[in-house]
Amino acid sequence: MQKNISTILKSVQKPGRYTGGEFGQIVKDKSKTKMRIAFCFPDTYEIGMSNLGMKILYGALNQMEDVWCERVFAPWTDMEEQMRKNNVPLFALESKDNVKDFDIMAISLQYELCYTTAVNMIDLAGLPIYAKDRGEDTPVILGGGPCAYNAEPVADFFDIFSIGEGEEALCELSQLYLDMKSNGTYTKSAFLREASHLKGFYVPSLYNVEYNADGTIKLFEPKFEDVPETVEKRVVEDLNTSYFPLKPVMPYIETVHDRIMLETFRGCIRGCRFCQAGMVFRPVREKSAEVLNAQAQEIYKNTGYNEISLTSLSISDYSCLNEATDLLLDWTNRSKVNLSLPSLRADSFTKELMRKVSGVRSSGLTFAPEAGTQRLRDAINKNLYEEDLLNAVRLAFEGGKSQVKLYFMNGLPTETYEDIEGISVLAKHVVDEFYKMHVRPKKPVQVTVSVSCFVPKPHTPFQWEPQDTLDSLIDKQKFLGEKITDRKVRYNWHEAKVSRLEAVFSKGDRRLSKAIATAVGKGMHFDAWDEYFDYDKWMSVFEECGIDPSFYANRKIGFDEILPWDVIDIGVNKSFLISENKKAYESKTTPNCKEKCSGCGANKLGKELTWCPKKK
Amino acid sequence: MVSEKEMIPVRIKFSKTGDLMYISHLDLSRTMQRIIVRAGIDIWYSEGFNPQPKIVFAVPLPVGVESDCELLDIRINSPMELDEIAERIQRNFPSEMKVLEVYTPSVKFKNIGYIDYTIKLYSPKIDNETAGKIENLFKSECKIVKKSKSGEKEINISEYVNLVEAEKKDDCLEIHAILSADSEKYLNPELFIDAIKQNLDIMNSGMIDEYYTIFRNKMLDFDLKEFR
Repeated sequence: MQKNISTILKSVQKPGRYTGGEFGQIVKDKSKTKMRIAFCFPDTYEIGMSNLGMKILYGALNQMEDVWCERVFAPWTDMEEQMRKNNVPLFALESKDNVKDFDIMAISLQYELCYTTAVNMIDLAGLPIYAKDRGEDTPVILGGGPCAYNAEPVADFFDIFSIGEGEEALCELSQLYLDMKSNGTYTKSAFLREASHLKGFYVPSLYNVEYNADGTIKLFEPKFEDVPETVEKRVVEDLNTSYFPLKPVMPYIETVHDRIMLETFRGCIRGCRFCQAGMVFRPVREKSAEVLNAQAQEIYKNTGYNEISLTSLSISDYSCLNEATDLLLDWTNRSKVNLSLPSLRADSFTKELMRKVSGVRSSGLTFAPEAGTQRLRDAINKNLYEEDLLNAVRLAFEGGKSQVKLYFMNGLPTETYEDIEGISVLAKHVVDEFYKMHVRPKKPVQVTVSVSCFVPKPHTPFQWEPQDTLDSLIDKQKFLGEKITDRKVRYNWHEAKVSRLEAVFSKGDRRLSKAIATAVGKGMHFDAWDEYFDYDKWMSVFEECGIDPSFYANRKIGFDEILPWDVIDIGVNKSFLISENKKAYESKTTPNCKEKCSGCGANKLGKELTWCPKKK
Repeated sequence: MVSEKEMIPVRIKFSKTGDLMYISHLDLSRTMQRIIVRAGIDIWYSEGFNPQPKIVFAVPLPVGVESDCELLDIRINSPMELDEIAERIQRNFPSEMKVLEVYTPSVKFKNIGYIDYTIKLYSPKIDNETAGKIENLFKSECKIVKKSKSGEKEINISEYVNLVEAEKKDDCLEIHAILSADSEKYLNPELFIDAIKQNLDIMNSGMIDEYYTIFRNKMLDFDLKEFR
C-alpha cells in the first residue's frame, strides 16, 4: 500500500472501506496485462459491494487474460478531505494505483442522485471533468448502468456509454481497445468512433443536439453517416450459459447485501406503467432451476455465507420457483443457510411459499400494491386486487408473521384524493384481517405504509407525464397522514424534494451538465445521503445556471416531441408506450406476458424467450 | 445433537498484518465464521433460532494494530487432523493472514496477563532524548483518561505498563512494551501512545509525516511466560 494512503487511513472512519485485500479479490501481474480498467462505483464501499452488476462485470472482465479490472468506490467525505489535503488521488483498491493512469475508467450509474458523486470521482482522480478537456493520455471514461438509458445530463462528462447488459459488451469493447492499441491505430477519437459501431455503445460527442426557442429539442442526430441514429441496448441471450460470478469478493466490513445474491431471471412479465426496470430489461429471460442450484452450491462453498437471496424484479413470476426452492432447501437447511425471497407479489403468494420462507428470521413480509384503489392500480397496470393482498397477508399472519410492510406511491398520473385515502383504507383492511383470525401470532400486528413520490422515468408509458409539483406532493403526504388514524398502522413517506430532483435528472437533457458541474464545484455530492442532500442549494445552482427545474420535472410532454433519450432503443416500440399511456387514462389494464403477448416489440432481442409466445 | 462438552476444542494461532490492521474485531469475527464454513470444518454451532458457528478470540485486536500472535478457539463436531485444519484454513485466508499453529489448548484465555508489543514512532520531532523521556514517563505516576463501556475514568497508566524499552533507530523510535492484558485491567496500546502524545509534544501534529505502527508480538501469562 502506498505509505500515504496507509497513514491517512488512521484518521478516517471505517478504514476497511479503502484497504482492499479481501478474499476473492483479483490481483494480476501488472507487467503481464495490457489493459487496466478501474471499475468505479459512485457511492460508498458498503453500497457498491452489494451491487450484483458490479460483481458480474468485475468477474467477466477479469476473465480476459490481458485485462485487469479493479474496484474503486467513492471515498466518504472524511477520506476525501484527507486525500485532498495530502495530495492522494483516487486509487483502485487492488493495486492502490492512481485511477488516472488506467486505460478505462468505467463508472456505474445506478441512480440519478449519484451524478455529482460520479463527476467528483473524475475530479478526485485528477482529471478534467468535461470529456472535451481530457487529452489523449487520459483514460476513456465509460458510463453504464440503469441511468445510461438516459445519460444526457452527464453526457458531457463521459466519452462513451454502455447501453443495456454489459457482461458481453464490455468484453467486446475491451477487445477493440486491445486490438487498436496493438495494431497502432489507437487514438481516443478513433477508438470512440470505432466503438460507436459496436452494438450497445453510445458516444454522445458524435451527436448534434439543437433546441427550439421553447427549450424543447429541435434536432438530435449523428454527426457522421457511419454513426447509428439510435443505439440498441444489449441483452444477454442465455442466462444458463452467460457469465455469473461464482467466487465473489468477500468484504470484511458489513455491506448492505452481505449474502449470496443469486440472479434467477431478467426482465419482468408485468409491465407496470411507472416502472423503468419493467420496460428496459425486457424481454424476460430465465435461468433454469438446475443451473441456479449448481451456482448456489458453488458460491456457498466459495463464500461461506449463511444466506441466499433469490434476486429478480418479481420472484413469484419465476416459472421454476418451486423447483428451484425445492432443490435449494434440500441442502440449505442442512447447512444452516437461510433462503430469502425478496420482491414477492401478493397475488402469487402461496402457503407453500410461506412455508419455504418461514425459515428466514425476519418477522415481516413486504408487498407493493403501489396504489390505494382498484381504479388507480388498473391505471398503472399493477394488476393486483385487494382480495389478493388480503389473502397474502392472511397467509403471512397464519405463518406467524405479524408485521407487514406495504409500498405505495403518491403523485401517480390520474391520482385523486380518493385514491390517496384508499391507501389508509387498504391498510386498515390489512389490520382487520389480523383480528379476524382466531389464532394469532403473539406479537401484535403492525402494518407499515411506506409512500414514495412518483418520478416519471424515461422509456416508460409515463415518460410524457409531469411530476406533481412539490407543494402538491407535500399536501398529499399530509392528507394521507391525517387519514391514517389506526394505531396499528405506521406511516413513512419519502422526502418529496429528493424525488423532485430525481425527476429533473431522470428526464434531463445535456443542458443539465452545467448544473452538475456547478454543484460539484461547490463541493456538493452524495446527494442520495440525507446528511448531504441540500434542496435549497440545488435550487440556487439551477438559478445560477439559468435552468428551470420545472421544465424537466413538471411539464407534460407531447407524444410528438423529440425526447433526449430517443437516441436509445430499448427494444420496446414507442407506439406501445403511447398506447399504454392512453390506456392508463381509461384505467384499462394490459395482460402480463405470460397470459398474452401485447406486442411491445422487445422480442426482437435475444433468441428463444420464455414468455414471448410469438418467438416460440 | 452432540452437547457442547463432547466437542473437540481446537486453538488456532494466526497473524493479521498489513492493510488488515484496519479490519475491526467485529468484522474479523464475521469473516472468520465464513472462513471456517468455506474450509469445510465441521464446527459446532450455537443453538437457538439463529445458529452461528461458535468461535472465541483471545484479547480482541484493536483497529490499527498488526499481530503475529492472535488466538482463536473453536470446537469441532468430529475429529480432524490438526495439520488438515491448518491447511484448510490457510487456503481460505486472505493474503495478509497466516495460520501459525493449530493445537489442542490446555490453558484458558483468562490466563493471559500481558501482551508484548513493538511500537514504532515516526516523527521529525524525535531527538536523542526522546527515548529516555518515554522510558521515564512510565516509571512514575502518569494519569490518563480511560474510556470504557461504563464511562470515563482517570487511571495511572504506569500501573498497566510492565516494561518499556525505547531506542532511537535510523528512521524511527522503536519501543518494546509489555502492557497489561488481563480482562480486568486491559490497556489498549493506543492509550499508551496517547500518554506519550500528551506528555512529550510529539505525534500530535495530525500531519502524515508523524505516524506510528503497533505490532503485537506475543501473548504472555501472568508470569510473563509465553501463553499457549
